[in-house]
Amino acid sequence: MNKQYLRMNNLSFEYPDGYKALSDINLELSKGERLGVLGPNGAGKTTLILHLNGILGELKGDINLNDISYTEENISKIRKSVGLVFQDPDDQLFMPTVLEDVMFGPKNFGFNDMQVQENSIKALEQVKMIEYIDKPPHHLSFGQKRKVAIASVLASEPELLVLDEPSSNLDPASRRELIDILKNLEVSIILVTHDLPMALEICSRSIILNNGKITADSETYKILKDEKTMSDNRLELPFGFALHHLEE
Amino acid sequence: METTHSHHLEIHSDSYLVKTKPEIKIVSFFFIILSIAFLSLENTLTISMQSLIVFGFLKASKLKFSTYLKRLSIDIPFILFALFLPFMSKGDGKVLTSFMNLPIYQTGVNEMITILIKITLCVTLAIILTATTSNIEIIYGLQKLKVSPLLISIFSFAIRYIDVFIDEVKRVRVSMRSRGYDEKGIKSLKPLAFASGALLIRGYERGERVYNSMLSRGFRGTLELKEREFISSNIILFIAIFSITISALDQFIL
Repeated sequence: MNKQYLRMNNLSFEYPDGYKALSDINLELSKGERLGVLGPNGAGKTTLILHLNGILGELKGDINLNDISYTEENISKIRKSVGLVFQDPDDQLFMPTVLEDVMFGPKNFGFNDMQVQENSIKALEQVKMIEYIDKPPHHLSFGQKRKVAIASVLASEPELLVLDEPSSNLDPASRRELIDILKNLEVSIILVTHDLPMALEICSRSIILNNGKITADSETYKILKDEKTMSDNRLELPFGFALHHLEE
Repeated sequence: METTHSHHLEIHSDSYLVKTKPEIKIVSFFFIILSIAFLSLENTLTISMQSLIVFGFLKASKLKFSTYLKRLSIDIPFILFALFLPFMSKGDGKVLTSFMNLPIYQTGVNEMITILIKITLCVTLAIILTATTSNIEIIYGLQKLKVSPLLISIFSFAIRYIDVFIDEVKRVRVSMRSRGYDEKGIKSLKPLAFASGALLIRGYERGERVYNSMLSRGFRGTLELKEREFISSNIILFIAIFSITISALDQFIL
């Protein structure tokens, strides 16, 4: 696989209050690859993915997506290519109806009316929410909102889908539906999560971010198996979860 | 996370008014309210005609009378205010009678009746509009009337996030009560002030997160609602013009 699709070189970022959220991040991702981003609370995971969308502004180092560098004039192209699904779907869904929310992205990115309509319907079908098309998003359950939030990003045909804690607050059935949806998507995925079994199921490769630095970059299975790496980074598999059945 | 479903005012009915374009209802009702506001109450014919128009709309809205009366309770503060007028508004000083040694002035009584009639008619129209038009349709109507996109965005965000905010308030209250908070007495105000401050900060932070999520989907300053289908209605516009004519005649001729 070509590892050059997404490149981050010496990426560092400091918040205005002086808190250093990221330091010297070097990362490469190939097209179609699914990468898990693991790590304890406050490790800089959300900051990292906000940078992927060019939202936090000034940073040290550089990011390059498919040979497009993150500059002001490229920001619209970058945002179209990188679909960001936020942790709280209530932050993402603000239009009066589900369909209008899903149409919001493609409209802004200059798709024509027919494409906007077609992409939105297709995205809602992909996440199995087509029957909720005219419902106000705030009347949906949390799991349904999460699916609509994913559709609202898929409708803009992103090449890279970035999800921030997509399984948080979901009941087991909704979590399973979400995993199945993500596994069937033909896009590159960066999955930020504390849900280690989910990362194992979706992403063949993972990194661990701790104190703004990458402390591990390997196959997800190997990372989860390495007890020292796990405990050094405040990670732990759920009680009763066993890896032995996956051993080569 | 719980969601709130309880504050919707629109009534699901097959009324002609429900199917009518919201922009027509907004403009027509606005002008009818204006013409009622400028009506003098010396001519009972004009008052009766305006009342006929308003209660005709109420009948057409198919709103249950009990629901109408319940919603009319929003009138109460105005009624209370109006009840003081006979004692306070002297006008030419003509005293009609007295109550508990307090004089009741003729001008005050007239003003009280004027306010009661006008407020009741205007509030009735507002009730009809909200009962036959959903929040989204009102915003859509305002968009069709070329109201500033910024205002449209503010209205739609307010409607969208009122639920989320109410849920947050509920959660904060529950968590306070679960730790023994009692909402009585002056001592209860301090934690309430802290909780309000926390909610304000949370609201601000959510605003930032919502804006970030909009930026990530290419937001460039305007929200656009999709086209909706309604029937056009010349009758409502005609009634609005008729109402204005009544007021104009009342002001300048009768």
